[in-house]
Amino acid sequence: MDKVLTSDFKTIGNVRSKKPRMSATDVNVYYGDKHAIQNVSLDVGEGEVLAMIGPSGCGKSTFLRTLNRMNDTIDICRVTGDIRLDGEDIYDDETDPVLLRARVGMVFQKPNPFPKSIYDNIAYGPRIHGLASSNEELDEIVETCLKKAGLWKEVKDRLDSPGTGLSGGQQQRLCIARTIAVSPEVILMDEPCSALDPIATAKIEELIDELRQNYSIAIVTHSMQQAARVSQKTAYFHLGHLVEVGETEQIFTNPRHKLTEDYITGRFG
Amino acid sequence: MSDSIDSLAASTKAIHKVEHSLKRRRVQEQRFKRVGLFAVLLGLSFVALLFINIVSKGYSAFVATHIAIEVNFSQEVLDPAGNRDLKVIGNADYRQLYREPLRALFPEVSGRKDKRELYRMISSAADFSLRDMVVADPALIGQTKTIWLLADDEIDMAFKGTLSRELPESERPVSDKEFAWIDQLKSQGKIDTFFNWGFFTNGDSREPEQAGIGGAIAGSFYTLLITLMLSFPIGVAAAVYLEEFAPTNKWTDMIEVNINNLAAVPSIVFGLLGLAMFINFFGMPRSAPLVGGLVLTLMTLPTIIIASRAALKSVPPSIREAALGIGASRMQTVTHHVLPLALPGMLTGTIIGMAQALGESAPLLMIGMVAFIVDIPSGPMDPATVLPVQVFLWADSPERAFVEKTSAAIMVLLGFLILMNLIAVLLRRRFERRW
Repeated sequence: MDKVLTSDFKTIGNVRSKKPRMSATDVNVYYGDKHAIQNVSLDVGEGEVLAMIGPSGCGKSTFLRTLNRMNDTIDICRVTGDIRLDGEDIYDDETDPVLLRARVGMVFQKPNPFPKSIYDNIAYGPRIHGLASSNEELDEIVETCLKKAGLWKEVKDRLDSPGTGLSGGQQQRLCIARTIAVSPEVILMDEPCSALDPIATAKIEELIDELRQNYSIAIVTHSMQQAARVSQKTAYFHLGHLVEVGETEQIFTNPRHKLTEDYITGRFG
Repeated sequence: MSDSIDSLAASTKAIHKVEHSLKRRRVQEQRFKRVGLFAVLLGLSFVALLFINIVSKGYSAFVATHIAIEVNFSQEVLDPAGNRDLKVIGNADYRQLYREPLRALFPEVSGRKDKRELYRMISSAADFSLRDMVVADPALIGQTKTIWLLADDEIDMAFKGTLSRELPESERPVSDKEFAWIDQLKSQGKIDTFFNWGFFTNGDSREPEQAGIGGAIAGSFYTLLITLMLSFPIGVAAAVYLEEFAPTNKWTDMIEVNINNLAAVPSIVFGLLGLAMFINFFGMPRSAPLVGGLVLTLMTLPTIIIASRAALKSVPPSIREAALGIGASRMQTVTHHVLPLALPGMLTGTIIGMAQALGESAPLLMIGMVAFIVDIPSGPMDPATVLPVQVFLWADSPERAFVEKTSAAIMVLLGFLILMNLIAVLLRRRFERRW
């Protein structure tokens, strides 16, 4: 098959999923005058991991943050287009971003546990959303989430110690546990392993694979190997455009766009 | 081949140039270090001079001279009817009680003028202290006891040595005769100095030996209390709003510029504002700590707002993002996460603002806290004065004995200021970087 020319930015591949959790259509994001995301349409499918790859500054993190309206905190950022969670427009005037963020959780690049105890880190979300009606229920939620994040055995004896006292990898797992404590439907991960050592990274990748059974995950990653290991669907971004999207295996073995091929073979990025 | 030789020659030349300039750089650095050291030493020596000057003048005010008098609480003078009526006891003439024993100590003294000089050695406060003793415990009537009575301020100065004998008699308020009496009392062990509790508990007085900073301390306390209760919540709330919730537009920029300017406005302007608004327009009582507190609030608010904003800015955005990402609303993010982390910085700014407010006198002079306050104020609505204003009033007084009292009051004021700033520094150190 002929490779598509470099100058042609029309998206290649099927952006839609069979059972989409989140659905973005013709999304444009402007930072003041800068056109950061140009006409991107993409689905996050249920029970699957979508990896977003691309060179630095291509807009993957920006796109990820539009999915849970974290860009609202930036004054000069403007988002147009249609983004839906389970069919409901999340940028609608009536949608409460607070509720949205309880349904679409986020794990950040640098682990950022609250400067509170491990218990309070996990319990904070359920507390403010009223998910637990008693202290026992709260204890249960904390234990379940720590077990799911693979952290329970290591910290069960020191739930009152500060969350910031853990190692980098443990802190990131704590953040993941914190995110799943509010029972979201979608988890967004913005380069979750870039600040971690290889062993911690491996643990987190294992965790992502387990979480896939209960949550839909969209992960931005700089590492192509990680995308290949962890995801089922991969989307390649380039300078604010969604250039190619498809099954992970196909993208990495037989990319159809020239830009995708150049990036994967290491010619740039 | 010649290329490498050229480059070798060039690098050798460069090394020589660097070596030469190195010497010049070192000389400059030494000079700079010496200038800095000199500036620090100069500043420290001025501070030391100031402290030595004040302490040397003021330390003697913390003790007061007393004279031991054998007082006979005679029944005929105090309670002739014998029915222990407190009104009668309260109105009795207590001067007799100490004048008689005084004459007995110096039998050679005769003539009205000399006797008056003798009686003058005891402070007029003695009347009241004796009366208070008897009214509190009427069983004293009929007994004879040795009571240490407060000496007059000039005798106090003479005994402590502040007033020198070397001066010619016409130039000092204490005559040679009085000095002789003091020496005699000293040899008999009947004159001594005790810790001057009255300095801390009494209000202001025309008589220096009875004057104290008790009223000023109470006034300062109520004023600062009002200032703290008003400026801390308002300042913190304003800082939180401006930092977390306000949109960035022309109006908020203007507000920020204005707040920064207000922090630099001379404090007496706030006094004028307080006079015009609180006293003339709202008709609040003059000289009350309430009005003083309101004026000082206006003055301290910019400091607290600026310090609080800096504290809020220093909380890393990652914590805000983490809270928002979990689904906390902006209000919850601020109150549960940002505010607790910024609180130590805010407290430090508040303590520094309070220390500034404690030392202010100009704005309070404008709203009338210059009054001569004798009674200790019992609440924020009573007329009062504050410590710096008291220092100002005493510095103006003609009596010599007020010199040591002024310096002692300054020492107390400095003590409070140092304590408050120390607490601020310790707080800041303890809470630095908890994340």
